[in-house]
Amino acid sequence: MKRPSPSGRLARRRTWTGPVVALLLVLAACGYDETTVPSPDPATVEAGGDDGPSCTNDGSQVRSYAPEGDVLGGDAVARIRKRGRLVAGVAADTFLLGSRDPSDGQIKGFDIDMATAIADRIFAPATGKLELRVITAAERIPLLEDGTIDIVARNMTVNCDRWQQIAFSAIYYDAGQKVLVGRDSGIEDIAGLADKRICAPGGTTSIQNIQTIQPEAIPVTAGDNSACMVLFQNGEADGVSTDDTVLAGLAAQDPYAVVLDTDFLTAEPYGIGVNADDVDLVQLINVVLEEMRADGRWQDSYDRWLRPSLQVPGKQPRPQYGR
Amino acid sequence: MSQQAPHPQPAADFGEDVPRLLNRLQVAAVALCVLFGVLAALFQVLSWQANGRAADNTDQVVRVQEIQTSLLRADAIATTAFLVGGLEPPEARAAYDAAVDDVLRLITDAADAQPADRRVLADLNVEVRSYTTGVAQARDYNRQNLVIGIAYLNSAGDALREDALPIVQALVDANSDRALDEMDGQSPILLLLVGVLAVGGLVLVNREISRRFHRRINVGVVGAAAGIGLLTLVIAVYAGTKSGSNADTRDGAYDTAVSEASARTAANDAKAQESQGLINRGSGAQYEELFAVAAQTVEENASPATLRLWRDYVVEHQEVRDLDDRGSWDDAVALATSSDAGDPTAALDAVDAAAEQVVTDAAAEAADSFGSGGVVALALAVLTLLGGLVAAAAATWGINQRRREYS
Repeated sequence: MKRPSPSGRLARRRTWTGPVVALLLVLAACGYDETTVPSPDPATVEAGGDDGPSCTNDGSQVRSYAPEGDVLGGDAVARIRKRGRLVAGVAADTFLLGSRDPSDGQIKGFDIDMATAIADRIFAPATGKLELRVITAAERIPLLEDGTIDIVARNMTVNCDRWQQIAFSAIYYDAGQKVLVGRDSGIEDIAGLADKRICAPGGTTSIQNIQTIQPEAIPVTAGDNSACMVLFQNGEADGVSTDDTVLAGLAAQDPYAVVLDTDFLTAEPYGIGVNADDVDLVQLINVVLEEMRADGRWQDSYDRWLRPSLQVPGKQPRPQYGR
Repeated sequence: MSQQAPHPQPAADFGEDVPRLLNRLQVAAVALCVLFGVLAALFQVLSWQANGRAADNTDQVVRVQEIQTSLLRADAIATTAFLVGGLEPPEARAAYDAAVDDVLRLITDAADAQPADRRVLADLNVEVRSYTTGVAQARDYNRQNLVIGIAYLNSAGDALREDALPIVQALVDANSDRALDEMDGQSPILLLLVGVLAVGGLVLVNREISRRFHRRINVGVVGAAAGIGLLTLVIAVYAGTKSGSNADTRDGAYDTAVSEASARTAANDAKAQESQGLINRGSGAQYEELFAVAAQTVEENASPATLRLWRDYVVEHQEVRDLDDRGSWDDAVALATSSDAGDPTAALDAVDAAAEQVVTDAAAEAADSFGSGGVVALALAVLTLLGGLVAAAAATWGINQRRREYS
């Protein structure tokens, strides 16, 4: 039997080491696994509102504290005067009610006029003594409760639930929920909202109201009303539903948007929010509101801010007391 | 010195087929030598390649961190410009455009540099385009004094943080992992193992031969073992040295580059939060919390020189917050948007510039360090391969001597 020579074996070994080396080099040169982005944590689904009212709005919710005695003599007003400024929680993105004027950076609007009138009454005049704090809707009650702000003048609807946490002035404007849609969208009434994407801020009652009134509408939520308008303008929502005053401000910034001419889907009476313990401050505010009615400041403010867009003559609601 | 005797005596076991055994031992010795040469050279080439990739990955980490920084810098500029009003300052616009241009260029560079990142970078490109579109819309509305502009700015900023920045963070993480993996690509232990196995094998071959020829040492085989042993020592020491150097670079220049880039990103994020706090006048508390998070990142990662500049900025920032919290919003905005030296914007610019320089220098140093010694590494690999072949030849020669003696 002929044995292979050692050199022959060596030659054979060399013939397979070459491919092995080549293979290893190829393996080494292979690329990395493709980069991946971890999936975000599943988003919490917006509940679309509170757990539901724990009381019934039977009409008594619009009643406030009747003014009496020396309106500047109460503890809360004294505290504010001692501090030297009234701190008001307001919106800065709600055109016509409270929004930052890009031309000068100042916050202006119907709600701001209310806050200014209150500060004027306390300090006479209020120049430099009204501090506006931009707050979100969700911050309104917590910041009143912890004393960070003295009042909320931020299109705040008075209802019995909120009365259990804070106090309100008399109603200074009767708003109501409506729907904004595209001018030539073909939507002309609430029935036309079926299968349409309607946006309202998450965590508000507006989205629930739409679902109650038109169950076939597709709810879309965003951070706030302006964010809803961004979705609408970008074609990601077919309409926006919230208070008519807010919608008027949004429509005023978009010639292709129109507020549907419907009855109010819900009544949204606005009041100035105050800490539940500051009854004297509520009474002072109620005095201020009546003074504004008497000297025409309320009407002037309405005519300046809201009438051009709402196109209806506004009327200051009659105060109801008895709380 | 020769161990050969004038008359070698084969072993007493006459029943054994000694020539066949010698052939087998010769094949084994040659195989050990060649395998050592090939494997050790291969490990060295792989290590050299790993170091090259470590350098490339370091560049990519810094590149994607630069994307992160530029995005937040763009957002800080856009947000701050909104505070000024409808008429955006030209220099702010130019700075924003430059930051966005940087981002787009860096995305292209990063896609060229790392194929594994391309798909995610394409997604990032979409998000960046969406962000810049949102800012452009916001700017247009703002210029027309329409307040909806701020909603566009907020949406753009939110989307930037929720959609774009997680992508960039994934890129930073993936490339950091790659860089760190490659830095560990040196294999002195493996080289030692291969060398020791080869030497051990040759010693066994030598023992088998010596048992049959009454010679303790076969010069060729032992010479091959000694050569391989010496070679193993040299390449293992070199690999060990390089491994130590990599560790030093990882804990030094590389860490400085990555940490400083994190600090720079956080500093720009903090400035954007400062502006957001002012846009939401009087209610900057939630943005101040985000500012604090960013500030903590800066404190933990910035180099000493940058940290000093950062603390100067924090003093200015605190003054802005104090003014806003006291109700002097106009004064707070005036201070925050002032471009005067010593004011917050200039102070933050100083932080950004200092950090950028540190990142650039440290990244270059790290990449240079990982990429250095390539010629030596390759020369050693070639030397190892040749050494293995020479050892094989020596072993062959040594065993041939015995075969001749036997015949």
